[in-house]
Amino acid sequence: MSVLKTFNKLPELNTANIMLVGSDVSDLEKLSRSIMDENHSFNVNVRLAQSLPLPVENEDSRPRIDLLVFMVNLRSSYSLSLAESSLKFIDPHYFLGKVYFLATGARSSHLSSDLLPSLRKLSASSHSPVLFADLESDSDRLSVARRFLTLLRIAAGLVPGASALFLNTLLKGAPASANEDPPN
Amino acid sequence: MEDSVIPFLEKTLQRIPSSSLKSILNEWGFLTAQQLQDLHFQQSKHILHNKVLAFCEENGMRIRHVIQLDMIYNCEYPNKRNWSVYQFSGQEDDALVLNMTEFSQKFKVNLKDLLRHVSIGMKKCEDDAVWIRVAWGDNFTKPNQFKPTYVVYQLQTPYVFISNLNVKHRPLLSQALVIATKHDEIKEIQLRGRCLKSLKDLVLRRYKQSFQTHQLKPLQERNSPERDQGIVHEHAKRLADLKEVATQTFGDGPLPKLETAVFKLETKFKDPENRILTNRPEPFRCAVKFSSPSFLESLKSLVTLGVASTPVSPLLSSIPQKARNHFVISERGPGVPSTPAP
Repeated sequence: MSVLKTFNKLPELNTANIMLVGSDVSDLEKLSRSIMDENHSFNVNVRLAQSLPLPVENEDSRPRIDLLVFMVNLRSSYSLSLAESSLKFIDPHYFLGKVYFLATGARSSHLSSDLLPSLRKLSASSHSPVLFADLESDSDRLSVARRFLTLLRIAAGLVPGASALFLNTLLKGAPASANEDPPN
Repeated sequence: MEDSVIPFLEKTLQRIPSSSLKSILNEWGFLTAQQLQDLHFQQSKHILHNKVLAFCEENGMRIRHVIQLDMIYNCEYPNKRNWSVYQFSGQEDDALVLNMTEFSQKFKVNLKDLLRHVSIGMKKCEDDAVWIRVAWGDNFTKPNQFKPTYVVYQLQTPYVFISNLNVKHRPLLSQALVIATKHDEIKEIQLRGRCLKSLKDLVLRRYKQSFQTHQLKPLQERNSPERDQGIVHEHAKRLADLKEVATQTFGDGPLPKLETAVFKLETKFKDPENRILTNRPEPFRCAVKFSSPSFLESLKSLVTLGVASTPVSPLLSSIPQKARNHFVISERGPGVPSTPAP
């Protein structure tokens, strides 16, 4: 069983690695292209996966993953269940600010009414913030890519004085406890 | 000009989109060159239509001219209609060698014999198809031009595509067609859709079918641009496998465009936990309907994305081969139903 470990690999010089996990391959590719297109002063590698656990064959070539993003499509309960089941295969150290949820499709009118509350519960129980985005237009993708690049810089330790855990406590999206009502 | 012509012309003109109005009016050929020049096609649709109406009045338009215009529009945009496919059987020897005038003569005479007030228009389009437009009245009222039936008879084949046919008029039209084309009978096959070209391709087996050949994988490195080099798929092997399964099941090229697939189940209910419904003598009727703008393409992409489990059920993957999209599954197995399906 290949569990994704935080610190078992050496970091590379001026490089950060982000892993996007989601059931919709085209969404993953769109976001990864926007991230790569954006100007960054450090090297970025993007790894895409549909679910965890990851295949063992890639264990050696895979670099240290600095940021994990779970993409959940609010129109499909399949993507939420996939994200939930993938959480078991992550080293607990990731939950100190290196895991984020990205919810897409919030503007859709066919929204199933219980997906968003379950997503919020999941994010509360794992102490990981939820970001909302739509990947339809170029400008949307650009803004999401920029946010993730900023988060990635901090999570990879490229910003002196800031760390992922520090950022987690500052972000408004990070829920305080699982019992609180989500702010409306 | 007769009273009924104006609303009919208005309705027909309204349906034509502005982008092709010029070409359709040119093809129609009813307005003179001078009048066509007078029309400025950048003006609003309302003004244009009024001008066209005025010109048509000047030229003394009759119903048959508007029928021609309607037929030109429908030949151009056949995908706005729902088509059902019918097949002739039992042809006589010289049935496939069709003389156009003889056919149209026989058809018109036959139909007019059966029903006094019908209005028939015929047109031979490209791709070897004869378009027939029938507007139905009955023995006392004039034909209703607003709900015509369209028939596309594909020459050299035993297939006819019919749209908008009332159940009442079906025997009349069938009889006229069968006699005019020198066949014995006509039967509806369980294939329906909107895209006329796809229906033709399916029925004539013209689309590229999937063959089990060894697919050579193209060189990847040269094609991917600079920025894609940082992006790595973890499950790349699995994705490639799924893509291969999808191409094996559905073939490489474009799939015919069908809008629905309907499976009517007439099997016995089988659930050991449910005592009430199982073990009843009569079958449990239920219908499963798949619908999508292009159902086969979406099924193929579901397989590629891994959302649909493989192997794909042969009920679905054999649809292009069987050229049907309405099935009845009974106890003995899928296939032709014992009672004629509606």
